[in-house]
Amino acid sequence: MSTAVKGIFAHLDCLVDSIDALKRAGHKDLTVTAPLPRHEIEELLYGNTPSPVRWFTLFGSVFGGTAGFTLCSLSHVNWPMIIPAGKPLVSVAPFIIITFEATVLFGCIFTFLGLLWHCRLPMKPDEIPELDDPRLSDDVFAIVIRGLDGAGASSARALLSGNGAIEISGGTDA
Amino acid sequence: MQDRITYGQITRDILNPLFKLNVAYMAGLAVVLAGLAYGGWCLYQQLTWGLGVAGYSQPVFWGLYITTFVFWIGIGHAGTLISAVLFLFRSKWRTGVYRAAEAMTIFAVMTAALFPAIHVGRMWNAYWLFPYPNQRELWQNFKSPLMWDVFAVSTYFTVSTIFFYIGLIPDFAALRDRTRGIVSKIYGSFSLGWRGTDRQWRHYMAAYGFFAAFATPLVLSVHSVVSWDFAMAQTAGWHSTLFPPYFVAGAIFSGCAMVITLMLPLSVFFKWEKYINTWHFEHLAKMCLLTGGILTYAYIVEHFIAWYSDNPYEWGVFVYRATGDYWWVFWTMVTCNCIIPLLWWVKKFRTNLWCLWIVSIFINIGMWFERFNIIASSLAHQFDPNAWTYYVPNYIEIGVLIFSFSWFMLWFLLFVKVMPSVAIAEVKEQVPPPLKHPEVAA
Repeated sequence: MSTAVKGIFAHLDCLVDSIDALKRAGHKDLTVTAPLPRHEIEELLYGNTPSPVRWFTLFGSVFGGTAGFTLCSLSHVNWPMIIPAGKPLVSVAPFIIITFEATVLFGCIFTFLGLLWHCRLPMKPDEIPELDDPRLSDDVFAIVIRGLDGAGASSARALLSGNGAIEISGGTDA
Repeated sequence: MQDRITYGQITRDILNPLFKLNVAYMAGLAVVLAGLAYGGWCLYQQLTWGLGVAGYSQPVFWGLYITTFVFWIGIGHAGTLISAVLFLFRSKWRTGVYRAAEAMTIFAVMTAALFPAIHVGRMWNAYWLFPYPNQRELWQNFKSPLMWDVFAVSTYFTVSTIFFYIGLIPDFAALRDRTRGIVSKIYGSFSLGWRGTDRQWRHYMAAYGFFAAFATPLVLSVHSVVSWDFAMAQTAGWHSTLFPPYFVAGAIFSGCAMVITLMLPLSVFFKWEKYINTWHFEHLAKMCLLTGGILTYAYIVEHFIAWYSDNPYEWGVFVYRATGDYWWVFWTMVTCNCIIPLLWWVKKFRTNLWCLWIVSIFINIGMWFERFNIIASSLAHQFDPNAWTYYVPNYIEIGVLIFSFSWFMLWFLLFVKVMPSVAIAEVKEQVPPPLKHPEVAA
């Protein structure tokens, strides 16, 4: 049966050292929490890999732009207003404005959906029980290492302790 | 920002004023409710008896309502400018003020959105503005600037609301963790179960950047589109290519002034001088100086072009604005927008809180009069002298104007007591992180 170990940190440098040490020790199933975004954590865990949310943004923008221009064009073709002086029914200049607005609108909506999807939101309160701790949104950092066997849990606890965790829980009942 | 401030202290300082009602707050709320009651009665009269009870008179059919619509849309500009544009520029002073400025944007657009519906009379048919399949197969005219405006304003509102909400998610989580019972559950559901994991912050920051990138052109586009409501019409005083930059500068000018008007008392009452202080207000004052300078330049240019064009109708309107029936509107505008803000060129005045607050109120007054000056004087003094008239708003319209301010302030007062008006997570980013070995990090 696998178990999880959680370490609480009051200091960012201790947290960063712990993540580094755990990665070097081969621990892969790490979850790190922070009350604010810290680039050090992202760089250690993800390197320079960009977030895939951008594909949602791109799709939404292209979809929105196409939908906006199509809406204007089909509306005017469906309800043709005869304008003198040979002006076209499908007129690019005024429709660009609606196209732009729809591009932005759907780009944002799809980015929001992409954010929810990749952050796994909405998340149930008990989905990661180790993170149900009010201090985590306030002034401490945490690392949760999951999928550990008995020896792995002991090793993880030792690493967390050695790198300045102020509190360590889990892993002893494996 | 003090270096020794801790993350925990930031959370406590910002969340402490929530839910606590004091005499000043209740007095403010009472004034707002009284305004809503009087304004609501005026609006009820108009809805019952029709637009005839408003002061519209041939040929001035755009009056106080459209003036107030443009005013509130303009107020809504500073929030997105501060939150999105300054985010992209990594400007640190935005952190203290952007949350309340974003809220102000949303409430201002909500207020503005009432006015086209109030203006056309039968506001229960406002949904006709939006394209939807219907039995008569009628569609909107997408070549009309009024239709562009519907899309521009609704897109701006939606994007601003999403941006505002995204920023609030980590703070809702902090509120969830600091409240109990049903209140905690409500904040928990708004936080969507946010836990601040590495995965969540990674995608959050990426998405936030995209939202800022999307919102930035919107800052420029929305008021440009609003200006086309006028500039596309062949009405003297309106038909000008100068309008989009002129309107955008005016919107940012009035929006930043409104941020000062609202945030300054907030900072004092909530004792948030650590987070919102003279440093922030001075930057806002500098934004006002820049945009106010552009605006003054635009006033001069439009008068020069009207004279230089040798078009008697165009020049006639501009002379009429300064010397005709609406001279008091024109000179109020010039005094409040071009002359009084000059005080802020002196550092002593732009760092004095009373001076900042009073001048910001004058700017708001001036910007409302600017829109009234553009709209009423052009329509009252069109091509045919036989149709010239003098329009002044009556008590019903003034009541609806009071309703709009009360409606806006009601939302703002509710906001400051149920949501953190300063972004907790972002303020934490501005202080040095807690380090066990700071000498190593250095």
